[in-house]
Amino acid sequence: MQHPFSLAGARILVTGASSGLGRATAIMASRMGASVVLSGRDQARLEETREQLDGAGHHAAAYDLRDTAGIPDWLQRLASLTGTFHGLAHAAGIQIVRPLRMLDECVLNEIMAVNVNTALALTKGFRQKGVGAGGGSIVLFSSVMGLTGQPGQAAYSASKGALISMCRSLALELARENIRINCVAPGLVETGMAARLKDSLSPAQYEAVAALHPLGLGRPENIAAPVVFLLSAAAAWITGTTLVIDGGYTAH
Amino acid sequence: MNHSEFLLQLDSVIEAAPGTLKGSEKLAGIAAWDSLAVLGFIAMVDEKFRLQLSGKDIVACESIADLAGLLGDRIKA
Repeated sequence: MQHPFSLAGARILVTGASSGLGRATAIMASRMGASVVLSGRDQARLEETREQLDGAGHHAAAYDLRDTAGIPDWLQRLASLTGTFHGLAHAAGIQIVRPLRMLDECVLNEIMAVNVNTALALTKGFRQKGVGAGGGSIVLFSSVMGLTGQPGQAAYSASKGALISMCRSLALELARENIRINCVAPGLVETGMAARLKDSLSPAQYEAVAALHPLGLGRPENIAAPVVFLLSAAAAWITGTTLVIDGGYTAH
Repeated sequence: MNHSEFLLQLDSVIEAAPGTLKGSEKLAGIAAWDSLAVLGFIAMVDEKFRLQLSGKDIVACESIADLAGLLGDRIKA
């Protein structure tokens, strides 16, 4: 019997795989036996991720997810090249800090397009004949900001909250196709994105956010392992939910 | 952007009427200069100058002149 947490024999598409949580997820999935297809905008950085993967049969396929309308066709082309997918970890996203007084429609639309529209398009693409292997597991990367608030994060929170709520409806639609879909809601993890957040806050503000994580700030592998769990057969009866992985941030 | 336009942008960041800031003010004396104003200033500089300032840089500033100094010759006299 295969270990329930194993991804042996599974092909997993990971977006945002050129850095941070996406890269860590790709590495962890490969360690659990998956063939991983890496997506991001920069082919060279995807190749850097690929060099860190265990095993063989991995692919790096650069694509700019901002071309949302093209995502289903891209997935068709990708699946015919790599083989069909058993799982999707959608880690790509952007965070823009804007207090309400500086938040215009242009910024709001950009955040929603990159964080929400791509998730819907990828899910739509995944369920197409010839893309999904029949059933499967999708993990969307939300955030604790989808569950709680911080000044300046209204647009980002809206986008991450949208993932959590749309995931429930999608789970109900996709259950009949044996596709599970869940979110993870990470707290603050030490990645390039967190470094940019740190730059946009005063030291006192950043330290206050860090202090709200009783187990300290996260490491990318702290998120990658639970994502791999949700992709695996061990999570076979889990769909439409959000796994909070935040070192205790939302326990306050 | 010239210095007058920079001051108008700062007026907007602190939600003051255009022309409120004269350029000689100390930040500690501006009631509306708070943590949200700092976030707003970072956002304005990002949008108008395509420059990423850090919160640390801004906290070190004591005056409007110091804020302008962060932008160097991007602000014309």
